[in-house]
Amino acid sequence: MKKRIVGISGAVSFVVFLMLFWAVRHVAAGIPEQQMAGRWSGEGEAAAQVSCFFSVNSGITSDRIEELEHSVDGALAEASVVQESENPGARLWADAYSASGTITMVSDRASLEADAVGIGGDFFLFHPLKLLSGSYFSGNDVMKDYCIIDEDAAWQLFGSSNVAGMYVYINGIPHMVAGVAERPRGRLEEGAGLDGPLVYVSYESLEQLGQNHGINCFEIVMPNPVTGFAEKFVRDNLGSDERETEVVENTSRYSFLPRLKLVSRFGLRSMNGRAIIYPYWENIARGYEDILALVTLFEMVFLLYAVGTASVLAVIWWRHKGWTVKEKALLLKDKAERFWERAREKRREHRQEKKAGKMLERSENKTGPQEGQGGNLL
Amino acid sequence: MNENGKNRREWVKTAAIIFLSVMLVLTFFSNTIMNYSLPEVATQYVQSGTITAKIRGTGTVESDDPYEVKVIQSRKVESVAVKVGDQVQKGDVLLYLADEESEELETARQELKAAEKELDSAWDGYYQGLLDANVTDSGVQAANGGVSMETYRQQLTQAQNAYKDAQNRVDEITEWKDAIGRQIDIDTNTDSSLGDETEAYEKAEEAFQAADSRKKQAEIALQAAQAKVSGLENNMQTVSDSDGDTSELNKQIQTAQAEVRNAENVLAEAEVELQRRTVARDEAKQTLENKRNKILGNLTSQSKYTENDLAAATEDANQKKKALDELTATLTGMFSLDGKKEAIDDAREKVEEAQEKVDKEVEKSIGATVTADIAGTVSEINIVAGNTTSADTPVMKLQPEGKGYTMSISVTNDQARRVSVGDRADLVNAWRYDDMEVTLAGIRPDPQDPGQKKLLTFNVSGSVVAGQTLNISVGQQSSNFDYIVPNSAIREDSNGKFILVVESKPTPLSTRYKAVRVDVEVIASDDTQSAINGAALYGGEFVITTSTQPVEPGQQVRLADN
Repeated sequence: MKKRIVGISGAVSFVVFLMLFWAVRHVAAGIPEQQMAGRWSGEGEAAAQVSCFFSVNSGITSDRIEELEHSVDGALAEASVVQESENPGARLWADAYSASGTITMVSDRASLEADAVGIGGDFFLFHPLKLLSGSYFSGNDVMKDYCIIDEDAAWQLFGSSNVAGMYVYINGIPHMVAGVAERPRGRLEEGAGLDGPLVYVSYESLEQLGQNHGINCFEIVMPNPVTGFAEKFVRDNLGSDERETEVVENTSRYSFLPRLKLVSRFGLRSMNGRAIIYPYWENIARGYEDILALVTLFEMVFLLYAVGTASVLAVIWWRHKGWTVKEKALLLKDKAERFWERAREKRREHRQEKKAGKMLERSENKTGPQEGQGGNLL
Repeated sequence: MNENGKNRREWVKTAAIIFLSVMLVLTFFSNTIMNYSLPEVATQYVQSGTITAKIRGTGTVESDDPYEVKVIQSRKVESVAVKVGDQVQKGDVLLYLADEESEELETARQELKAAEKELDSAWDGYYQGLLDANVTDSGVQAANGGVSMETYRQQLTQAQNAYKDAQNRVDEITEWKDAIGRQIDIDTNTDSSLGDETEAYEKAEEAFQAADSRKKQAEIALQAAQAKVSGLENNMQTVSDSDGDTSELNKQIQTAQAEVRNAENVLAEAEVELQRRTVARDEAKQTLENKRNKILGNLTSQSKYTENDLAAATEDANQKKKALDELTATLTGMFSLDGKKEAIDDAREKVEEAQEKVDKEVEKSIGATVTADIAGTVSEINIVAGNTTSADTPVMKLQPEGKGYTMSISVTNDQARRVSVGDRADLVNAWRYDDMEVTLAGIRPDPQDPGQKKLLTFNVSGSVVAGQTLNISVGQQSSNFDYIVPNSAIREDSNGKFILVVESKPTPLSTRYKAVRVDVEVIASDDTQSAINGAALYGGEFVITTSTQPVEPGQQVRLADN
């Protein structure tokens, strides 16, 4: 009876472990900002998404990022990664950068001071916001006067969320509303900074017409021929002081080992000596990291319990098995010998049959023409 | 056993019914259930159309050929007579300046004084040099026929002192002359030395006035008495005509006549008195005038004397100077004092320069107003009342009548490639502006960032004023393309850009939709649409623009109701 209870509890524990394992995968897959590598590369191609966060004093400029971009192709060529796609516009890598700040937008009916993200590069590839109307824009567009506003901002400025194509004025300069985005809601999201209207403008617009603390985030998705290649490349080529920068590999941040590492750093993670202002998506990602670290702890407990009970049961079974290894070994040996004996017997028979067949053939050859001749005679 | 078997059969029957019911429900509602689990997508047709890439920008309208109004001296502004936007005619007052000398003129005068002082000290140095010159007496004697060095030095000192004395005398007389001039200018009536005479005259005048007034009163009293007599005489006539008693009236007439006589006497006395007073007043006046003339005469003659004295003293000083110069020239020939001489020449040059500067500033001196040199519109005012003008900064700008306007915007090289000179720009919010035309006139490197940016210059005409901010959009001609999709339909991964096309597959119960990837190349884009090219495109496909969940190629989707 006891054995059964231990067995059932072990099995339940293992099932709980599997459920937690699946839940972690599901949660990680549900954070689109961290899944760029999966979206970017096809099956069987390894790519990694790497994010860098800069402190207020790091002095990173768009020119510095442009220099980094120029060195990516060279590094990939050195690692023998070449473009294989037949599509003429295909790129091996994509990147984006952003700065956080505030900006004042004025429409014909209202004025709004909102948190702003100044974007450069293909920001919305990395951050696929859910759009209620319109489309994304890119920092690589010819015009830099597009903006995406969230539904709250759209409501306050226009009283509607179907306002793509309309104009808002930032410091007297008209900006076209490219799209209206849905603002993610939830406890983590609100804590991360998404607690008021948020607008996305080009980095140039934010720098010239708003207030900001400089570029605080750079993201890149690129081929990762060997584990850690992309992260190492970014770390080596950033040209910024290590103390002013934090580099995160998004692609593997929620896998088991990094989570376990996070658990081992319990208590140390809250310490911060850098003046880094995390953008809201990183705050959310870090929030999930904390939650998943806790879940990992439970995963470990359940797995250990399941393994422990399985071991105990195995030992009990071993002790009460009613046979010895030697017996079984002799039995196996006997069976093997019999098998080989049978095989040998079969081969022998086969050879004898073959021999008999040949002899018959020979005798037939000898008698055959005689029959023919006889036939002719007939 | 039988009971058990029956129960088991019942159970199997129930289970079968439940199973079949569930299967039936699932069969009927499978589509609905599946639909709820599928991402809902919004689609649009791939169609042909035009793409017009526009460059937008914001700039400030400036005058094509602005006229700057400058005040070339530092003068304090008392008030500004115009406002931005005012139309002015040539000669209209723009600024009122405080009525005082410009700072430049004052500085120039001070510089002149300093230069003169320097010249004086240079001369002093020169003379000192002459006195201190280290020359042997015998050498001097040999060169000048026995005149000793000491003699020269004595002569020089004497000549110098004589000149200085003469010059001092000139200064003294000049001062004295100025004092007399000031004295003459002063109103002699207020001179203290005329106090007694003035007082006597004033008293005589007062007495005269009193006598005059008494005489006038006596005249009035006489007239009244005479009127009374004639009135009584008339009554007398009337009474005598009616043979009445006239004795009372006679008495009254006699009394009245006595009054008239009395009044006549008083008048005669007053007239005598007045005459006496008039004489006394005239005398006092004469005395005063005489005294005043005497003083003035004295001053004038003194002034004349001082003038003569000044002329004489100046002449004397000039002679002394000449003598000194001659002696100096003689000595200069003997001693090497070129350095000192040069110092004097330099100082003299400086004095001349300073004098020239003062003359120039005096010439430049402007009145208390600044007027418009041309007719036009005030487009900018850079000064307010109370501030001081500066020669370098224009105080205001005028837009000359009939001249055009320009506007510049800075764009990236990439943006500049999309426009060409002659392109007409559209105004954002065009309804706000009336009758305005903006044309691209030039593309040149932006001086602020010549490598990265270009400056687009536009000609602006119509109802526009300098300083107005305009938002414009300018772009190349529209181009036609076969396949155009909304920008939101374009997706990208490491295999390049692609669109997701919805393909339908009819099934017995309903139609199923599947998202299919089509690789494309984006060949042109504008604010909302992109022109694409792809081997698998034939036009008219449903392309996915938005979805409720991320859609993978090959995934089944459901179409939005609209």
